[in-house]
Amino acid sequence: MKTSFAVFLRRNLAFAKLAIVSNLEYRLNYFVDAIVQPTLTTGIEMLLWVAVFAGATSAEIAGFTREYYLSYALWGAFFARICTSWMYEFRMIQEIDSGSVNSLLVRPMTFYEYYFSQLMGYKFITTLVSMVVPVMVVLAFRLPTHFERLPLAFALEFYYLILVHSISFVIASCAFYLNKVYSFTGAKNLALWLFTGELFPLDLMPEPLKSFVIALPFSAGVYVPVGYLTGRLEVASVTQAFISITVGLVVVNLLGAYMWKKGVNVYTGTGA
Amino acid sequence: MAIVIETKDLTRVYKTYQKPEGFVNSLRGFFNRKYVAKVALDKTTLQIESGQIVGLVGANGAGKTTLLKMLSGLVTPSSGDATVLGYRPWERKNEFLRQISILLGQKNQLWWDISPADSYALLARIYDIEPLYARNRVEQLADMLQCTHVLHTQLRRLSLGERMKMEIIGSLLHEPKVLFLDEPTIGLDIVAQETIREFLDQYVKEKGPTVILTSHYMDDIAKLADKLLLISKGHIVYQGTVPEFVAKSNTEMAENEEVDFEDVIRRFLETESRVR
Repeated sequence: MKTSFAVFLRRNLAFAKLAIVSNLEYRLNYFVDAIVQPTLTTGIEMLLWVAVFAGATSAEIAGFTREYYLSYALWGAFFARICTSWMYEFRMIQEIDSGSVNSLLVRPMTFYEYYFSQLMGYKFITTLVSMVVPVMVVLAFRLPTHFERLPLAFALEFYYLILVHSISFVIASCAFYLNKVYSFTGAKNLALWLFTGELFPLDLMPEPLKSFVIALPFSAGVYVPVGYLTGRLEVASVTQAFISITVGLVVVNLLGAYMWKKGVNVYTGTGA
Repeated sequence: MAIVIETKDLTRVYKTYQKPEGFVNSLRGFFNRKYVAKVALDKTTLQIESGQIVGLVGANGAGKTTLLKMLSGLVTPSSGDATVLGYRPWERKNEFLRQISILLGQKNQLWWDISPADSYALLARIYDIEPLYARNRVEQLADMLQCTHVLHTQLRRLSLGERMKMEIIGSLLHEPKVLFLDEPTIGLDIVAQETIREFLDQYVKEKGPTVILTSHYMDDIAKLADKLLLISKGHIVYQGTVPEFVAKSNTEMAENEEVDFEDVIRRFLETESRVR
């Protein structure tokens, strides 16, 4: 048992390394992905809040000043990039749609772990590299940030990433039945743009929608870690978010296991 | 010899969407689709002994690849049963997957964006092979296939022949007991075909795995196969050796007419396409 767990760990570490090695093969693409894109997203979202406050009649919105919103926009863009999975979800669907999943199905490993470890490896290294953008902006503009809260915020974010991957797994499993399900990814990510709190802090929503959306596990993607990091929320909200992610993981993984099992049974081994 | 692969009434039916041509039919098909069932493999029963190279021959769509995919666990049968090394393939147990390998000549199984050497290191982790042992084995296999010089080049930059050699090394790294080869020489020039054929012949003699080989190049089958399985419209229509098959065909010929294996197969496939 101990040996097989060690084998499992070594194998998954190798998958994580594969993600890093593959991405580093294309240096310019990686630079744009890890530095240019986050800089652009951050700039756009911060400009949006500058414009909102320029046209506002008061110095505060919902009890928070312009600096709080700028800080939220800055870290929100950063955390949203971590918790969004376009690339790997697209690849997972493509593997099944094109039949290249064949090479994974005949090896002693699972499709879930293979992509999960790659996603984690990629997100880990990209987070480290992209981190330079928000840190520099915070220091330059003296935006409110509790740096001592970063470890817990990251722990929550990477726990949430497991849920993100599990949702990707469910969507990819649909490709066994429907082949082209790329639009599902687009629709899901649009919904999460709102539900994670990337678009605006979720506490700006009217009740009862606000309480409902905050209680969903998706708020752990942006709203909770960023709110906690910028002083908008306290540790109790983080604990609550951990619990709702756990519930979400159970539900989504049960669905994923069912869809996968049914899916491989109807799979025709596309191509070749 | 022990029976390694056994099937009983193995059947696979595919459901396919039929769309008549034209824009209007596309619109109709959006709301109402017609599906037809196609039997790819029909109640196939066979036994294969260990250490044999079995040549699986048939026209396009005869059911060869479907049979390989079911035996390797990629496709679940609609009915019937099969065991490979004592396992039901489509249950995909790790103990089973560690002992088999499938090489699909028209698909890449190594990683496109990294070098074959990096791919083999990853495969060593997947199959839990000691890294140093894996490296030595790669060197040995690459030496046999005369392709040591491309081990550190990104896979996407290799020629088709070089890529196929890399795929073969990848499929043999964990020393599978059962090897499924689906058109391993497809699209290769004569020299590369010959190299791969000689390599497989030598490898099987040394290591003794059970091999099921499909190929449209009859030289592959004639030179490598101990046993021939002829498949037609989802049915196995002949099981025996290549020389027996040729002899049997020759007895059915008119006097003064004698054919070799390639001719016999060509005639068989021509008949198939007329009947189809």
